[in-house]
Amino acid sequence: MKGRTLLLIAILTVVCLIYFFPIYFTAITSFKTNNEVFTHPVIFFPTQFTLSNYYVQVNVFRAVSDTAIGSIPWMIDSIVIAVIATLVSTFLIAAPAAYSLVRYVRSIWVARLILFMTMIPEAVFVVPFFIIIDKLSLLNTWWGLILVYISFSAPFSTWLLMGFFNEVPKSVEEAAQIDGLSPYQIFYRISLRLVTPGLIAAIILSFISCWNELLYALVITFSPFPGGAQTVPLFLTSFSIAEKAFNWGGLAAAGIFVMLPTIIMGIVAQRYLARGLTLGSVKG
Amino acid sequence: MSEVVVEGLTKKYGKTLVLDNINLKISAKEYFVLLGPSGSGKSTLLRLIAGLEEITSGSIYIGDRKVNDLLPKERNVAMVFQNYALYPHLNVFENIALPLKVRGMTKVDVARKVNEVAETLHIRGLLEKKPKQISGGEQQRVALARALVRDPTVFLLDEPLSNLDAKLRVEARAFLKRLQKEVGITTIFVTHDQAEATTMATRIAVLNRGNITQVDDPYMLYARPNDVFTAGFVGSPSMNLIRGVARRSGEGWSFQSEDMSLGLGKSRLDAEREVTLGVRPEELTVSKDGAGLAGSVSNVELMGSISFVTVSVGKTSLVVQLTGRPELEIGDRASVGIDPDDVLLFDSKSGSRIDTGH
Repeated sequence: MKGRTLLLIAILTVVCLIYFFPIYFTAITSFKTNNEVFTHPVIFFPTQFTLSNYYVQVNVFRAVSDTAIGSIPWMIDSIVIAVIATLVSTFLIAAPAAYSLVRYVRSIWVARLILFMTMIPEAVFVVPFFIIIDKLSLLNTWWGLILVYISFSAPFSTWLLMGFFNEVPKSVEEAAQIDGLSPYQIFYRISLRLVTPGLIAAIILSFISCWNELLYALVITFSPFPGGAQTVPLFLTSFSIAEKAFNWGGLAAAGIFVMLPTIIMGIVAQRYLARGLTLGSVKG
Repeated sequence: MSEVVVEGLTKKYGKTLVLDNINLKISAKEYFVLLGPSGSGKSTLLRLIAGLEEITSGSIYIGDRKVNDLLPKERNVAMVFQNYALYPHLNVFENIALPLKVRGMTKVDVARKVNEVAETLHIRGLLEKKPKQISGGEQQRVALARALVRDPTVFLLDEPLSNLDAKLRVEARAFLKRLQKEVGITTIFVTHDQAEATTMATRIAVLNRGNITQVDDPYMLYARPNDVFTAGFVGSPSMNLIRGVARRSGEGWSFQSEDMSLGLGKSRLDAEREVTLGVRPEELTVSKDGAGLAGSVSNVELMGSISFVTVSVGKTSLVVQLTGRPELEIGDRASVGIDPDDVLLFDSKSGSRIDTGH
């Protein structure tokens, strides 16, 4: 048993290192001076520790200026779009849909269809979505991206929540029925509360996918706030193109900054995330 | 306090017939038990009365209202589920208060009512706790409190004791019986445990495969079962049931099977036919070398003040109940005495009891 445990720890350590290395390398690059970034051989710990990438070159804390790129406009776009898309898809679409599919429709084929929708590569819909968003006159707006993101995260969240609603004991809902609650009250006051871990998992996963999405943001938005709706992944690309020479230190600093919200969310809700992904699997 | 009347009630799930033309009349304030093995339809019957399932045909009346098309909340019934079905995210107080809150009762009245019922059920100390933090017995009391708090007209209990351990179950049995007397609510209790049924019920309906085989008080159910099923299901250990034929012999009748032949005296049988003979273990006697059916002891079970001795007579096993310590051991030769007056006869084809005049 002890040997097996050690082996397990060794394997997990290697896996963790593989996952963690890019983040580590981005982090140290963001603290390197421009000279050290280009040093050969590559150094894995900066000797001249600097914060200049954060302050001078990227200027993540400043709004748009002439000389340096500020992240604030993109941040505003990202936060607004990710939050609205996440809340709408989770609470207004996925939760009611999952509940009624589990309690009233009970069709394994509908469940499979929803799962199937989450498997289609998003790139497949780029052209149709562009045309739709254009026809709606929503190109380069918050609502254009919000619509797209809702359509991607709602099926996944629905599928995830179906597993959770499946585990809500039917007798609890029947007790509520006898106690005098209406079907809507049973959903809102009982069942929805019992799937809280699932809701948290759905919110986080949906938020992260909206936050990181690049392709659609690239295609249907052209400029950041105000006047446009470019999200932070585009901040990273636009910033690296805008500079004359490739500013790796600045890019790394911007990358770390953009990563922070999702990392913080992940840490805060880690407990729910793990439970959410293991407990609520759909059977069959 | 209302009576419950069930008329010609039939329930089908697709093509499967779960309840077949059930007729019942449960009086006000009665402690009525639906007893049957799993799959007999007893829980379905309870759920139909509660309004959790739709009726296929027939009618249910609570008081003088026909409730067929009423929602559960409109029937003013209360139900306790086997797993208690407490709301896990609410504390005990909120669990009990919820049915009152959704009826629009004021906060002050809700608190007063909840405290009152918590007092009756001795759970005042638990009001702040979540269902997960209290024991199974306590959870059951909370479920009872939630059911009682809104003064229902009918109280429905679906195997509420089966998740308790043996000792708690006996306590809960007495508690429920006392409680029902105190509050005086018509109670329908579903169980598969015949000891639970006979200890608590004023009357019992025995269900088998969607049919009611007998509705009677516990004693009559035990002493005069209507059919072979009820005879075998009620009583522990079960009644000894032996298949054979009833034949005329001289003035009277006799019972003959592969392994035994037994005089039945002047039973009022009308014709020779295949019958099943039933006799309770406590009505048999066993001795080492007395008169009776000769066999050998195949099992001895000590239960404290009583014991059960199984005697094999040919291929037939007979269970005999004795008081005190049995003087027999496994393998001993023994003879079993049967008094023809204690014997019940059932028609082998229909299963129903033949009135033999005893």
